[in-house]
Amino acid sequence: MTSKSSTDYQRGAWAFLGPGAALVVIVLYLPVIYTLVLSFTRYGGLADPVFVGGANYVEMFADPAFLGSLVNTAIWVVGTLIIPVGIGLLIAYLSFGLRWAGILRIPFLIPYALSGVAVGVLFGFVLQNGGALSQALAFFGLPGSDTRWLQESPLNTVVMILAASWQGIGVNALLFTVGLQSIPKEPLEAARIDGASGFTLFRTMVWPLLRPSTTIVVGLSIVNSLKTFDIVQAMTQGGPNRVSETLGVTMYKDTFVNSDYGLGSAVAIFLSVITVAASVIYLRRQLSIGNGSDAGRITAEVSS
Amino acid sequence: MISRVVRTVILAVLGLIWLVPIYLLLANAGKSVADYSGDALWEPGSIGALFANVGEVFTGTDVPSGLAATALYALVAPAIAVVLGAAIGFAVIVLRVKHGFFWFFVIFCGTVFPLQMMVLPWFDVYARIGLFDTQGGMLLIYSVVATPFSAFVMRNFFSGISESVFEAAVVDGAGVWRIFTRIYLPMSASALAVVFILQATWVWNDLLLSLILTQSPETRPVMPLLNALQSVEGGGPGYTVILTAALIVSIPTALLFLFTQRFFQRGLALGQY
Amino acid sequence: MRFPKPLLLAAAAVAAVSMLAGCSASGGSPDKLKFVNDKSWDFKAFSKVSQDQIDMGLDASTYADQDAFVAFVKQSLRTGKAPALFTWHTGGQLEELVDQGLVAETSSIWKEEIAKGDVAESVKDLYTIDGKQYCTPISVDNWVMYYDKAAYAEYGLQVPTTWQQLMDNAEVLKSHGIAPFWSSGGNPWAFVWFQIILAGSDLQLYKDLAAGKASYTDPGVVDAMNVWLDMEKKGFFSDPGSKTAPETQMKDGKLAMIPFGTWYASTISQVLKEGDDWGAFPIPSITDQGSTPVAIETAPVCATVKSSQKADALKYSQWWMSAKAQTAWSKQQGNLPFNPKSTASTQTFRDIGKEFAEPDKYDFYLRYYEATPTPILTAALDQFTGFMTNPGDPEPYLKGIEQVAKKYWADH
Repeated sequence: MTSKSSTDYQRGAWAFLGPGAALVVIVLYLPVIYTLVLSFTRYGGLADPVFVGGANYVEMFADPAFLGSLVNTAIWVVGTLIIPVGIGLLIAYLSFGLRWAGILRIPFLIPYALSGVAVGVLFGFVLQNGGALSQALAFFGLPGSDTRWLQESPLNTVVMILAASWQGIGVNALLFTVGLQSIPKEPLEAARIDGASGFTLFRTMVWPLLRPSTTIVVGLSIVNSLKTFDIVQAMTQGGPNRVSETLGVTMYKDTFVNSDYGLGSAVAIFLSVITVAASVIYLRRQLSIGNGSDAGRITAEVSS
Repeated sequence: MISRVVRTVILAVLGLIWLVPIYLLLANAGKSVADYSGDALWEPGSIGALFANVGEVFTGTDVPSGLAATALYALVAPAIAVVLGAAIGFAVIVLRVKHGFFWFFVIFCGTVFPLQMMVLPWFDVYARIGLFDTQGGMLLIYSVVATPFSAFVMRNFFSGISESVFEAAVVDGAGVWRIFTRIYLPMSASALAVVFILQATWVWNDLLLSLILTQSPETRPVMPLLNALQSVEGGGPGYTVILTAALIVSIPTALLFLFTQRFFQRGLALGQY
Repeated sequence: MRFPKPLLLAAAAVAAVSMLAGCSASGGSPDKLKFVNDKSWDFKAFSKVSQDQIDMGLDASTYADQDAFVAFVKQSLRTGKAPALFTWHTGGQLEELVDQGLVAETSSIWKEEIAKGDVAESVKDLYTIDGKQYCTPISVDNWVMYYDKAAYAEYGLQVPTTWQQLMDNAEVLKSHGIAPFWSSGGNPWAFVWFQIILAGSDLQLYKDLAAGKASYTDPGVVDAMNVWLDMEKKGFFSDPGSKTAPETQMKDGKLAMIPFGTWYASTISQVLKEGDDWGAFPIPSITDQGSTPVAIETAPVCATVKSSQKADALKYSQWWMSAKAQTAWSKQQGNLPFNPKSTASTQTFRDIGKEFAEPDKYDFYLRYYEATPTPILTAALDQFTGFMTNPGDPEPYLKGIEQVAKKYWADH
């Protein structure tokens, strides 16, 4: 049976895979090759690029701020794995099956709907020195009202992760909700009859069955946090004096602010190599397990 | 599991906390530039001032003129991406295309490379082949950029569907196209919906691609127009008007989330415990 | 088995739609000049003025994100998709384009306009590269100190004419809990106080530094930083970590003085009234340098060499410098027109304009943002932001800039 479905439909499979794969490879991969080539050149955006070998890579690693950028990026990866993924799951799990679930989830989704300008202005309001957060702390007589949220490292990176979480949690909650919906009834029923409930039920049954969703959320979280750019650029521009810079900001600064396209490209390539490596390690393990076992698949009634 | 009442209360409280920053935006959008103060961010604005700002957005800025183009991009491109992504997931998981993991990974890695670095080469190519500053060009780029995410979600969703579904359909004599459109797509409505709304939101809020790849009023969506209101060397409308404009353009995406919630109410298996 | 044709069709449709749309791409109306810019200024309104006067209009697209704008213009010049006109920056950024032969020469326009008395020689220098001129000015903005008239009146302060008076005023304001001066970290405004203090102390050193003839660790630069540090320690500056706009801070009664170019008038006037609430004065020199240094910046508009609308673009550029156009522009922008035959739209700027026109009293220099090569500027903005966030010994910050400057000047 298995051998039938894996060999008989190759031609058909290619008709399904082909269009998307071709578009992705042409549109998304050509710029990568272009950037890879540029990373070995000196190029200011106007005169033709000059080949300089690995000089940009040497320069990149020699920059004292690069290490800081690397560390901040690592903090972003870990931070966004814990907070938005964790709370996203919590919200999805708590709201699941409630009558008002749709309404209850809306507050978490609205931040994601906001435009970039609104988000930039908002976090300016909240996190600036003497801003809304400090004003609120002072009003309630709580300590911390004179904290410089965005000016001290690593505090600024931490509060920006919280701000990004505020915006991103709803998406994770939504993805987990879809995952929860596709969990089959039978194994849960069986577990319940065996006496499992509450956290035990979650740990032994729901969590393993949620793997396809967890893989999506964690996989995207890794990729996106490694690329972190927008919120840092809007809040601190990587400052003060580069202490909150991430690799994405370093890349942008080199390329667009300093018009040093070669160096910026080198950072972009380095960033991409790390991201691909992280994704390979994570996805290989996750997806191969998902592929190998049939446990938990829906034996849904096929109605035509 | 904790009782329904407790869960509802926890979520409602958390949700209210989540809405506090939104209050800040609304409160300050409801102030005239002259009334806005950095020391009184928590003070509510007035409905009158809010309406005055809304009026100013519609009469004094170009932002509303981009709504049609934005709506076109945000509705069509994600729809194309959803179909392309579902097809990829179907080929990899259900039809078990050879080297499926490799191909899936190649497509997934389309999300890895930072968009900031892609936009200049795209502009270069677009300018050469006549796609620069065209609606078709924007639809193409948005569709393709949204495809890897779509493929990722759909692949994983399909991996949760039993093989026997496919086998039973084959026994019934259905072709792969029919199986795809009549069985797999309907079964994954909520996954398709989540991909669609998330990507529509992304397209709606995109600034970078539309800033570089469009120029004329017919093709430019709202975000670059909104962004154009605030340059460092002055000009443009007042601060609170910009804030109001930023909120107005977020209304459609917020409504999209609101109206698609019903897709996530099905599948109550777990909810019974 | 059946082949999923609709899917292929969907993919093909994307391509086809793209191509079709590509053919029907709108290139803007033919009678209007394609004009891209990085300013939120109302070019639409100005286009109406030019339509009336010379029967030419602007088809303007704004890219308010400056970094993206620069990258876009460069790339569009390379690919031959360039607009007829575009805004740019003087200094190194203009030189780069001229080196590649991408912008149209404007020497003859400048010759005529100088002869007519429409523009000063000193402005021409900003547009001169290797003896030839490129681009023309939309506006030329002098840097002045905007001040809160209410605060000045309340504490009986006079508009200062010397640095010492300015510091005395600051002392008084500070003692009443008002931040005397605005300062802000990050790109672009972290350079402001370095510029004011260094040029005010030793303008020649400022110019040498910008040209790579002096080092950031020179004693004169260190002295200037120590003046800045002293002011920081006295609490003369607003919080660089505040994102509240300076005019709002002034309106809230928290801030008394803001150093900015004359373009700022339109922004501050949204909140405070010109003449009644705010005034402006020239920033005094710290040391006696014969004349008072005044920073200027200018917004150039450039015509592309390869554009089919080049002739019209140059005609439009020249008109933009005329008295009529500058009067209209100043009225719209509330700034100070560079054409001496035009009149400023506000009394404050008419007075300032008269003051600046006094012979030999003022020495105009290019502001730091354009005068300094970009990589050094970027490093300097970072270091200055670090310095104003945690004021202390300036030497490590200066060393950080010098490291980048040394490397840059070794290659250039």
